[in-house]
Parts: sequence; C-alpha cells; structure tokens
Amino acid sequence: MIEPPAYLLLSAILFGIGVVGVVARRNILIILMSVEVMLNGVNVAFVAVGSYLGDATGGIFAFMVMTVAAAEAAVGLALLIALYRIRETIDITELKVLKW
Amino acid sequence: MTPIAMDTGALVRGLYCILPEMVVIGTAILVLLADLLLPEEGKKRLCHLSVAGVAAAILSALWLGPGKIEGFSGMIVHDGMGLFFTLTILAAALLTLMMATGYSEWEGTQKGEFYALILLSTSGMLFMAEGTDLMTVFLGLETLSIPIYCLVGFHRGRMRSLEGAMKYFLLGAFSSGFFLYGIALMYAAAGTTRIPVIASMMRDARLYGNPVFLAGIGLLLVGFAFKVSLVPFHMWTPDAYEGAPTLVTAFMGAAVKAAAFAALLRVVLLTFPAILPAMSGVLWVLAALTMTVGNFSALLQNNMKRMLAYSSIAHAGYILVGLTAGGVAGGQAVLFYVLVYAFMNLGAFGVIMLVAQREDDGYDIDNFAGIGFRYPVLGGLLSLFLVSLAGIPPTAGFVGKFYLFGAAVRSGYVGLAVLGVLNSAVSVYYYLRPVVSMYMAPAPEGIPVPRPPRSAFSFALCASAAAVLLLGVMPASALEFAERSVLSLLM
Amino acid sequence: MGFIDNHILSLMTFLPVLGAAAILCVPRGKDDVIRWIAAAASFLPLVLSVKLLYAFDRSVAGVNVAGQFQFVEHYSWIPSINVEYFLGADGISMPMLILTALLSFLAVIGSFGIEKKVKGYMALFLLLETGMMGVFASLDFFLFYVFWEVMLLPMYFLIGIWGGPRKEYAAIKFFLYTLAGSVLMLLVLLALYFNTTNPETGGHTFNLLHYMAQSTHNGWLKGFDVRILLFLGLFIGFAIKVPLFPFHTWLPDAHVEAPTAISVILAGVLLKMGTYGLMRISFPIFPDVTRWFAVPMAVIGVINIVYGALCAMAQSDLKKMVAYSSVSHMGFVMLGMAALTPTGMVGGAMQMFSHGLITAMLFFLVGVVYDRAHHRQIDGFGGLGAVVPVYTAFVSFAFFASLGLPGLSGFIAEQMVFLGSFDVFRTIVVIAALGIIFVAAFHLWALQRVFLGPLNPKYAALEEINAREVFCLAPLGIIVMYIGVWPMPVISLMNSSLVHLVDLVKAVI
Repeated sequence: MIEPPAYLLLSAILFGIGVVGVVARRNILIILMSVEVMLNGVNVAFVAVGSYLGDATGGIFAFMVMTVAAAEAAVGLALLIALYRIRETIDITELKVLKW
Repeated sequence: MTPIAMDTGALVRGLYCILPEMVVIGTAILVLLADLLLPEEGKKRLCHLSVAGVAAAILSALWLGPGKIEGFSGMIVHDGMGLFFTLTILAAALLTLMMATGYSEWEGTQKGEFYALILLSTSGMLFMAEGTDLMTVFLGLETLSIPIYCLVGFHRGRMRSLEGAMKYFLLGAFSSGFFLYGIALMYAAAGTTRIPVIASMMRDARLYGNPVFLAGIGLLLVGFAFKVSLVPFHMWTPDAYEGAPTLVTAFMGAAVKAAAFAALLRVVLLTFPAILPAMSGVLWVLAALTMTVGNFSALLQNNMKRMLAYSSIAHAGYILVGLTAGGVAGGQAVLFYVLVYAFMNLGAFGVIMLVAQREDDGYDIDNFAGIGFRYPVLGGLLSLFLVSLAGIPPTAGFVGKFYLFGAAVRSGYVGLAVLGVLNSAVSVYYYLRPVVSMYMAPAPEGIPVPRPPRSAFSFALCASAAAVLLLGVMPASALEFAERSVLSLLM
Repeated sequence: MGFIDNHILSLMTFLPVLGAAAILCVPRGKDDVIRWIAAAASFLPLVLSVKLLYAFDRSVAGVNVAGQFQFVEHYSWIPSINVEYFLGADGISMPMLILTALLSFLAVIGSFGIEKKVKGYMALFLLLETGMMGVFASLDFFLFYVFWEVMLLPMYFLIGIWGGPRKEYAAIKFFLYTLAGSVLMLLVLLALYFNTTNPETGGHTFNLLHYMAQSTHNGWLKGFDVRILLFLGLFIGFAIKVPLFPFHTWLPDAHVEAPTAISVILAGVLLKMGTYGLMRISFPIFPDVTRWFAVPMAVIGVINIVYGALCAMAQSDLKKMVAYSSVSHMGFVMLGMAALTPTGMVGGAMQMFSHGLITAMLFFLVGVVYDRAHHRQIDGFGGLGAVVPVYTAFVSFAFFASLGLPGLSGFIAEQMVFLGSFDVFRTIVVIAALGIIFVAAFHLWALQRVFLGPLNPKYAALEEINAREVFCLAPLGIIVMYIGVWPMPVISLMNSSLVHLVDLVKAVI
C-alpha cells in the first residue's frame, strides 16, 4: 500500500502544475483548465487522507469539491462566451479597459 | 452493511438552525417561479417579493435568538456571533434590495435572475457566517461567490462589467483553490475539519509545529486574503468594483466583506491563542500593507466607484487591525465595524447611484460639481457617509475606528494603531474631494439631474443615515451586543 | 427653573444645534426667518452665560478636584468603555464659556449681511457653536475630543464655501493642519486610557480628573520619557490650534479667505482652544513635564510675539496684518503660562479673554471696510478719517487696545504676563518687551496709512459704519474699556483656579 505522504506529494504536484498554469498562461480557457487541475489536486489529498483515516468525510468532500468545480466552470465558460462575443479574443492580456 | 438509521430529530433540529437561510433560498426559488408567471410590466413585484423574503428572514433570525443551536452534527451553529453577522448581512441585503426598486428600472436589471442571484448569494453568506466546519465555510464561500461573479458581469453588453467579472472570477477561482488546498492540508494533519476541534487540538500543542498544518493554515489565510481583498491579494477589487453594476458593488462592499470577515474571525479567534507568535506577525504586516496601499491608491482616483473600491481595501485593513489585536476587545471591534461599514458603504453608493446618470464615466468626481447646493438632501447625505467613512465624530465610523485602534493598543500593538490613525488622517483627504467638488467647485452648465428616488430607495438611504448617526452617538447597545456575541464564541 | 439650573451647561451647548435643526426645517427663500432663528439660538446661551456668571462661586478652584466643579452634569454615555457625559465649569473654563457665548451671538448678528445660502451658513455656524461650547464644558477626554472634531467640519465648510477667492486652498489647509493635531491627540488619548483606571469601578477611564490623579504612577506612564512623548503629542496638537510657531502657517490663509464673522470666531474662540487645552489637560496631567518644558514654551512664546509682529508689519493686506497680530498676541498667552507663576498664569488667561474681544473688534472692523471698498490693501486707502469719522474712532480704539494702551484690557493682560514671568525668564522677557515696540509700530503705521494723509478720491463717498455694525462692536468696546479700568471681576473669576493650577504644577511629586 502506498503511504499517504506519497499521495500528498502527488496532490502537491498537481496543485503546483495548476498554479503555474494559471500564472503563466494567457489563454483564459487554459487558465480555467489549470484551476480545475488545482481542484483535482485537492481532491486527491482529500480522498487519500480520508481512506487512510478510515473516515468517510474525505471522500464526501471530494464530491462536494467536484460539484463546486462544475458550477464554477459553468459560470466561467458563460462569462468567457459573453466576453468573446464582444472582444473576439480570449487572451487575458487583452482585458485592459479597467486600469488603476 | 447495515443501513444508517435516519435520525429525524437531528434533521429537524438542523433545519431549524438554518431557518433564515432556508427562508432566503425559498424566496429565491419563489422569485424565479414568479418571474415566469408575471407579465413584463409587473416585474417590479419581484423586487417587493425579495424584500419581503429578506424581512421574513430577519424576523426568523431574531426568533431563533442568540442562544446556541447546533445543526447537522456540528457543521453549522447558530450562536451569538452567527446572529450578529446574520443580522448584519440580512440588513445589508434588505437595503440593497430596497435600492434595487429604483436601480433596476434605470439600468435594466428588472429581472428575476438578478434578484434570485442576490438572494442566493446572501444565503451563501449566512452559511459562511455560521459555519463551524471548514467545509461548510468553503461551501458558503462558493455559494456566495458564484452568484456574485454573475452579478458583476450582469451588464453583458458593457465591456467593463464583463471584464471586471472575468478578472474577479479568475482570481476568485484561483483563490478558492488555495483555500481548499489549505483545508485539505489541515485535514491531513489534524484528521478533522471542525474548527472548534482543531482549536482544542492546537491548545494541546499537538499540531503546533507540524509543517503540513502550518502550510495549510497559511494557504487558508491566502484564500481569505483574496476574498476580503488584503494587499497584496487585492488586485481584482478595483476592477470588479468599477465594472460591476453599482448596486452590486454596494452589496459586495457591505455584505461579502461581512461574511468573509465572519468566517475569518471564527477561525482566527478560536485558533489564535495557540499560534499567536507565528500568526500575529503575518497579520500585522498584512494589516499595515492593506491600510497603507489602499489609502494611497485611493488618493489617485478620479472615479468615485474606483475610489470607494480602494477605500474598501483600506477598510479591510482597519478591520484586520482589530483581528490582529484579537481577544474579546478585538472581536467586538471587528463586529461593530463590519456593521457600521455596511451602512456607510451602502449609503454612499446609494447616493452616487442616484447622481450618476450612466455607468462608466458618470461616476467621475467632476460630475458631482455643484450637486451640494442644487440638491441639498443628497449632498448632505453623501457628505455624512463620506465623513463617517473618514472616521470623524460624531458619526459611527469614528466610534468603530476608535474601538479597532483601541483594541490594538490594549493588546500592545501600538505601532499598528499609530499607523492606522495616520492612515485614516490621510484618507480624509480623498473622502473630502467629492465634498469639495459638490459644494465648492463652480457648478457646470448642464448639471446632472439626479434620478427621482423611489420611496423604498429614499427609505433605505434615510435608514442608513440614521444608523450611521445613531451608532455614532448612542453606540452602547450595539457594542454590548457585539461583546456578548464574541463572548458566546469564546466560551 | 430646576431643569435649567441642573442642565445649564448642556443647554448652552445644545441649544445652538437645536436652532440649526429648526433652521433646516424652514422652507427655502425665508432668509429673514432663518436669520432670526439663528440669532435667538445664539442669544439664549448668552443669557444663560450671564446666569452662569452670577451663580458661579469664585472661591473654589476646580482644576483637579472633582467636588469643586460647578454646574456638573455627570452621566454614563458609552458604558462598555466607560465614556462619560461629564460637563462642569471652573475658573479656567468660565471666561471661555462667556466669551464663546458673546462672540457667537455677535458673529450671528454680524453675519446678517450674508446673502449667499443663508440656510446652510447659519446651520453650520450654530453647529460650530455647539462644538465650541462642548469643548470648553467637557471634563471627559473622549467627549472633549468628539466636540473638538465636531468643530472641524463646520469650520471647513464655512471657510470653503463662503470664503474669498482662494477658499478651497485655505479650507483644506486649515482642515489638514487641525486634523494632524487631532490625530496626535487621539493617540495620546488612547495611551492615557489604557494606563489609568477609574478607582470606583476598576475599569479604564476617560475622566480627565482621574488622569490628573494617576498620570505618574500607572503602567507606561511611570516612565518619564513616555510622559514627555505624550506631553509633546498633546502640545503639538494644541500648538497647531493656537497657533504657535512653526505651526502657524495655516492661520493667515484661513483668516484672509474666511468671511468676516468666521474670522471673528476663528481668532476670538478657536485659537483659545489651544491654550485652554494646555491649561485644562496638558499642565495638570503632566506637571513634571510641564516644568521640564517651561523654557522651550517661553522661547516659543517670544518667537510668536516678535515674529508675529514683524510679519504683521510686512503685510499689505489689512486682514492679514490683523491675523499676524493674533499670532503675536497668542505669544503673550504662552509666555505667561510658561512662567508657571500665579501672576503669569492669570495674565495669560486674561490675555486669552482680552484678545478674544479685541481681535473680534478688529476683524469686524476690517469686514466693515471690505464690504464697502471690496479690497483690504492698506496702501489703497488714505485719509479716510475725514470721510468716516465714527468708523475711524472705532478703528483707533481697537488698534490702541490691541497695541496695549493703558486703560484698556490688553494692557492689563500684557503687564500681568510681564510681571509674572520677569523673575523666571529675564532675558526672554526683555526680548518680548522689545517685541511690543514692533506691535505698536505696525498698528500705528497702518492707522496712519489708512486714515491720515491726503484723501484717496476713490473713497470720498465711502459709507459710514451702520447701526448693525455698531451693535456688534459697542459691547466689545465697552467690556474692553471696563476691564481695562477695573479688571477684578475677570481676575477673581479665574484666580483661585489658576493659583491652584500653578500649585499643582509646581508641587514636586
């Protein structure tokens, strides 16, 4: 059996990939996907810890996180489409009407 | 495997505990249903329905009273502090919806989903304020945030609205990731997500020094810092505030801030004594940075909405001073200030909403020239709210700041109190700029004619003004309520 | 009459703001109604102040003895932090309360000529009067601070809206200077609060009398360096208001831009709050630091006297000259107080009262000529004495009172200051006495340029001073003359308190 630290390491790596993706990418769609990767990193941690402790909470939380992620994705994509209709771009650096 | 028996009594008790939340959610669903049935010209009934729902929620919260009721096996608790924040948030929602009577007509937000989103967001805030489990707090936070993303971008055709919403959404989702990862790490280290249990474990010093746990609490703090817009996690705030429909901006400043601080206060007050040395330094720096950067950035603004956005960052810094001080005095100061801030912030946005003719450039400070004498009531009200934001007696803003900085001095953070006082002196300059423009600048030819407020709108403004004055002159009972609320949490 | 007797200070404080509320209810366009309501709302405190004067027991001191304060009103206001609604009067505050009531009423009468936005003007003015009365009546530091700040905004608006051409600049400068002072005061307030306790309840307190009893042996206050820091914080806060060199630069701007009646109040009452604050708060709470800081205070006082006079001499604007003469005169107050002798202290307080009356006359008189000629350039007139003899007589009277002619109140006050401080700081006093020469010089020179010499033909038809203006000036002139001849009523009013204050400061702990 793989010990929890290994799972935690995996979750940290996933989370880190997500963070780097959000910070480094300019395409809003990819940023959204990176956020999903972050949340999935969290899920790995929840499930691993939950099963290690024999506690159902971890697994339940993972489901809740998925639900929330789905809701966020829905809103995010809707905003993205509305934005694309006006600006015809999904480049984050093009969002510069509001400054200082 | 035996099926788990359904404990009906516990379920009923749980539902009883979240009665105000249920009333608000129920109203939201009713509003959506009514939206389908009502003809176009009857849509203003939706607003009335929402106001009635929130008023009912306030009554139900009062009916529950300040006694401690636990629900859903301790995931949520209705206690004194929960009641205080519930009432603050519901009052803010009520005033917002009253202002919506007029605003929706002018800005085309007379739609069922607009009100339903406000109500759903309110319910999320209530869950956040009463959650005693990190997971409840997170779910409350998301229930709060997702409708707010939509509300910020509600003006689909306006670039600024969409851009503000997009920026807010991306940073909000990003910060949610941090928040959640913090919870996961704390869960890994402590084996639970109940805030009181974690707090009691920390008193035994079992967790103290566990790097996974410390990383968890750090990430959680980053998540909170994004939500209450502490420097350096504040970049979204001015954009979201400026872009959002003004009514939503007012609601965000008053209610979202209250809810986020409620949860932060619960976490910090309970866990604080154990991790004092590690945390207080971090909070100190955050508070100092937030006040200073917020105030100095606000000095440079020419747009009222943007100026008030930076001012709200500065106010988050002031409130954080109270959190840093900790203890009963600090908690009491935070509670009182959150309440006061809700009123003065809503009031100020309410007035500028009436004066500005259009979104975007209608909010330039120059646009307010000459308003003061032409429309003395509006001018007087806006001056009152700005003076209170600046913290000048005899307004509530002064008493609130006095308590915050007093709590800091009591806990030995003299430097932070000095910095806070100096900061609020700087802030007076930019709060007076609109006042100067209203009363002392020569009025231009085509002075804008403010919209005639609906009676509910006027009532909301007068109620805010009365609250700002009353809490400034007779703050005793509200302060006692705040003190009892904090004590009920710490007992 | 029981209610009036028991709440006389509250009534004096809050009647004006009630008047302001009444004014806000008057419909637009009824400017005369508004003026008369304002006059009534400021006349009633004046009546009450006369009553106060007769009921006041001159034999007891007050200062730090709770039982000796008179007309006391003591209630709990914000119980959770022990803020008290604590009003009371003693020999330090009595002259100031009377002065405030008198000048406020006269200033309202003097403002009858204001045509622009009368409603807002009068309402703000009455709010200002409430703030001033409250500052002089309160014995709780929190309450004092609240009233102190309440004054700030009306003043800002009164200068900024009804002022002269550079009004915004002057208003914001006044506001920021005063606010900086308030900020320092607030910090000292917090420090005192957390290091003192109310012996009856054991909680922290804002009661000034408790501060005076405990200021050297509680918490941080044990350290002399901490007390120095707190004293200096308060001192700067009050010095900005006085204004003492080098914090005086807001004053000329504010005075020049403010409308006449507001200049009267600014110079007549607001400047006194600084020195009053030192007497009421700084000296009795930090007696040892006061002794330690006495020489610097005297030096600052003398700088004020000489520098103010020299600046006044250099002015071409009559109002600016009068403003700088205030700087000079407030230096005498500071010098007398710094001597820490009974004579010096009484002289300083006397100068506060006397300067309040004289400077009010001066500003009224400058206003009179400005209303007619629409400028105030000293060199722009000439030979007015022949055209407006009554006005000339008034101005000469006021100028002579201001430069300290024997027989008028300014002379008594200045002589007492010199007598009281000569033994303590000989060199400094000699320099100050030389400063008097400059004071006399700029007054006489201005008098000569405006009223004597060949008549400027532009003003051959200048209107004589009218009845309303005489009504504002005559009472002041009569009191100035009366005190100049027979100062005992005023001296006995404050003597026992100030002697007690000096004993308190001198007593080595």
